[in-house]
Amino acid sequence: MGGVTVIVSELMVRMGELAASATPGEVLVTIGLGSCVGVALFDVRRPIVGLAHVMLPTGDATGAPAKFADTGVPLLAQRVKALGAARLEAVIVGGAQMFTFSGEGGATIGARNEAAVREQLDRLSIPIRHAKTGGSRGRTVRVHVEGVRVTVREVAATEEQVYGR
Amino acid sequence: MTSPPQYTDMQLDALRELANIGSGNAGTALSGMLGQPVDINVPAAAALPLADAVEAAGEPATLATGVVLPIFGDLDATVLLLFPPDDEATLCSLLGVEPGTEDGRSALGEIGNILGCSYVNSLAAMTGLELEPRPPETVADMVGAILATVLATQADQTNLALLMDSRLIVEGQQCELTFLMLPSHDGIGELLTRLGLG
Repeated sequence: MGGVTVIVSELMVRMGELAASATPGEVLVTIGLGSCVGVALFDVRRPIVGLAHVMLPTGDATGAPAKFADTGVPLLAQRVKALGAARLEAVIVGGAQMFTFSGEGGATIGARNEAAVREQLDRLSIPIRHAKTGGSRGRTVRVHVEGVRVTVREVAATEEQVYGR
Repeated sequence: MTSPPQYTDMQLDALRELANIGSGNAGTALSGMLGQPVDINVPAAAALPLADAVEAAGEPATLATGVVLPIFGDLDATVLLLFPPDDEATLCSLLGVEPGTEDGRSALGEIGNILGCSYVNSLAAMTGLELEPRPPETVADMVGAILATVLATQADQTNLALLMDSRLIVEGQQCELTFLMLPSHDGIGELLTRLGLG
């Protein structure tokens, strides 16, 4: 084997947080998405990626920039563009229904989170390349700068690549 | 905007004492069910930023079975019991059911129900609050996903989560479970008022 060794470093994106990166070898990770939605954005050409961990559809995001879909998604787009991204596309992960009682008064929090994220992406004209959403299981998502790969692992399953170039 | 709630040391001490009494009662109930002595650690009560709260019960990627009891009434809260896989297996064998089966799940749900209700009933008795637990739900998943979803369900418009955390240890059996009480901020205000610390 030859070639360049890339040192992989994982950057945790916790609930209500977001991160963007254009550093080769960097991986943005969110562990344990339940009803939350992980929004991955990347430039269509260059390896510039971002990940937000959205908890609820709307609200006041003071202190937790990515807590809400309506503020978190535009802010993530802004961060990725600040690193040089021009045209964006997205992969969304999560929005599961883990408990039945979280569905009081209509749609569950997971489904409402997904709908709110889709609405924001639509408003920003960012196409969704893949959605790994719904169901009842927790998920872990990794967004690799290298190859702009997005991998998802559901609980008790193997890691699966849902996007890459 | 909603200003973040602040809690004084005295208020957190009072909540810790409530958790102590509540988990003491839950421990007695568990001991009665298993016919084994049960120890309780010193509970913690803390107000944490949401992202930290998700990690309060351990590594977010760790697998566990969670039993969730929503509490409604004068105080809205969630009681969450977390059983790590090995401890779940030990507990199931103590109860004479097969872990990982429908019977095992239902036994854990019932343990959660009894423990949660004894905790909540002692809280209600001490504070005079009307508290009504709903039937429990059992879920096996990543600890982080379970906790994050519980926190999202409470949907507080603040960035702090209040956790009352205790551990119940079945003596000599390598078996312990985490018991978390997550009150909503409105609920906690009510609770502290009843204790004369509002």
